[in-house]
Amino acid sequence: MNVVYNIFLYFVWFLATYYVVMMLLLIFIGRKALREKVKFDFKKEPFVSVIIPAYNEEGKIRHTINSLKKVKYDNIEFIIVSDGSKDGTGREVRENIKGNPKFIFIDRKENKGKAGSLNDGIAKARGEFIATMDADSVIEPGIFYKTVPYFKDPKVAAVAVSVLVKNPHSFFNKVFELEYVIGLSLMLKVFSFFNGVFVTPGPFSIYRKSVLREIGGFDPNSVTEDMEIAYRIQKHHYKIAMCMEAKVHTILPPTFKKITIQRRRWYSGAILTLVKHKDMLLNKKHGIFGFVVFFNYLLIILGLILFISSLYLGASNAVKDVLHLRYSSFDLISRIKSIEIDFLLLSRATVLGILSLLFTFFVLLTGLVIMRTDITKKKIGIVGYIVMFFLYQYFWFISIIKVIGGKKIKWR
Amino acid sequence: MEIKKSVFLIAFLITAFLLITILFLGNILNSQRKTAVEDKMTIISDLNDVQTYSLLSSVYGEKLACLAFNSKLAAWDQTLWKLGVKLEQYRVATEEFAKDPFYLQQKTTFNENEVLYMAFLTKAKKECNLSQTVISFYYKKAEVCPKCDDQSFVLSDIKRELGDGVSIFSYDDDLNITSISLLQKYYDIKEYPCVVINEKPFCGIRDKSFIESRINI
Repeated sequence: MNVVYNIFLYFVWFLATYYVVMMLLLIFIGRKALREKVKFDFKKEPFVSVIIPAYNEEGKIRHTINSLKKVKYDNIEFIIVSDGSKDGTGREVRENIKGNPKFIFIDRKENKGKAGSLNDGIAKARGEFIATMDADSVIEPGIFYKTVPYFKDPKVAAVAVSVLVKNPHSFFNKVFELEYVIGLSLMLKVFSFFNGVFVTPGPFSIYRKSVLREIGGFDPNSVTEDMEIAYRIQKHHYKIAMCMEAKVHTILPPTFKKITIQRRRWYSGAILTLVKHKDMLLNKKHGIFGFVVFFNYLLIILGLILFISSLYLGASNAVKDVLHLRYSSFDLISRIKSIEIDFLLLSRATVLGILSLLFTFFVLLTGLVIMRTDITKKKIGIVGYIVMFFLYQYFWFISIIKVIGGKKIKWR
Repeated sequence: MEIKKSVFLIAFLITAFLLITILFLGNILNSQRKTAVEDKMTIISDLNDVQTYSLLSSVYGEKLACLAFNSKLAAWDQTLWKLGVKLEQYRVATEEFAKDPFYLQQKTTFNENEVLYMAFLTKAKKECNLSQTVISFYYKKAEVCPKCDDQSFVLSDIKRELGDGVSIFSYDDDLNITSISLLQKYYDIKEYPCVVINEKPFCGIRDKSFIESRINI
């Protein structure tokens, strides 16, 4: 068992390290392109429609509306779609948009889900470009001047932006905040270098309407419609650009339980999207995208298998130790006292693990520096980042179980 | 931005370099462990003196045996125990993919000399009225004898607590050492794990309190 485990450990380590090295290399090569600014040189501002689906957003939606009012872009309309809200969302929207002709409110009594709301909004939209955003997210005023110019390239169908966390309070929020900085901002940019962007994040993304129509809009059956549409955009051989300089601030679920529910939806949705578009995997027709996605999910599955087998080995050793203790009246203290530090006791596999840990922190700190994040203010998140390693496995595990179990995944 | 295919190759080469570095580091650790074991094993050459002391004591009587024990041999007990523990720990840390013959060889040499030392210690104990408790522990590999691990754990605890008051010798039956087989026949050991406390065999797992009660008799 140990020999098989060790060979597998080295194999997964190699693949994971290759992936990280590749990303670091691309960051280095594309360091100038990371912060590229595409000049806004349209003679006239192209018309943009912003669709904001809302479900029970009372108390939050007014902040979103206020941020929209500050947007520095004149040729724009904001379409708020209440998706059968049962609280005071409708009243709050009406009060806050009163007298502002840029706002349109669709107060639908029926609940169609997020994708259905977006499609309804698209049907009403007059804009050449369609921006979608979450009702609990806040965009910066100049976001359209930064993102719209990317559409000068006719092959660009969508532009993603940096997704950052607004006011992280709890420990988990502080840890996840860093994951957003690295995963939903820097890495998306790196993926865009080789047209490998596999998600147009829900908090804010902007699309070319003609392409949305061509590919049939958002899939109402998907619980991760922002990922599913990205796959279809790639399938139709369009590009998804990423503007790291444009930012949207979103809020994270406040409790660990709610974070778990959100992640389970994301990851289950990711699996179902992958299954739906399995024909894209390792398919040269779709360029590097199919290979990157395959490699991504291969790593996730192998990582999960490695994690479970490590957990099994660790747990069985722990059980053995506890069973040993029963013959010495559970004298744990003297056992702990006998632990000695001898670096020669480090096996190659342990060195591998320690280096991986150091490597993770190196990547994290590098990413934060590139993203111009004040590291001194993120100490808790940085130290706690190690938790992410375990949480990822947990989230993927419960999501796979859910998908295999065939349970219906709800959007909320 | 156009990504050249060579980037994938460079990333592969960097990763391969990192892996080779780790394997190289692992080899350095392995060789350092072996050097450390070899350094510690020099005590074995000192144990050859035991034969001389044994011969001298049979010619010149118990007084010389006691002199020899008190002057030098008593100090070896603790060193031997630590060496045994290290040998096992380093073997476990080294063997990731295959059994290392180095440790098998060292363990064999170590066990053979343990027998020698134990014999002299038992003799000195009788002739010099030492209060030292001598325990020999006979075991097989964990796959065949899962309880052997438990017994080893208990004995480690006892050694840690009682220190010089007890001398424990662990004998691996799987090494097929003639002197150990002889001792097993002498004590009629057919079941594992088996501990011999002050020349009385107790086969089957024995807990800490049982062994402590036997030590105090």
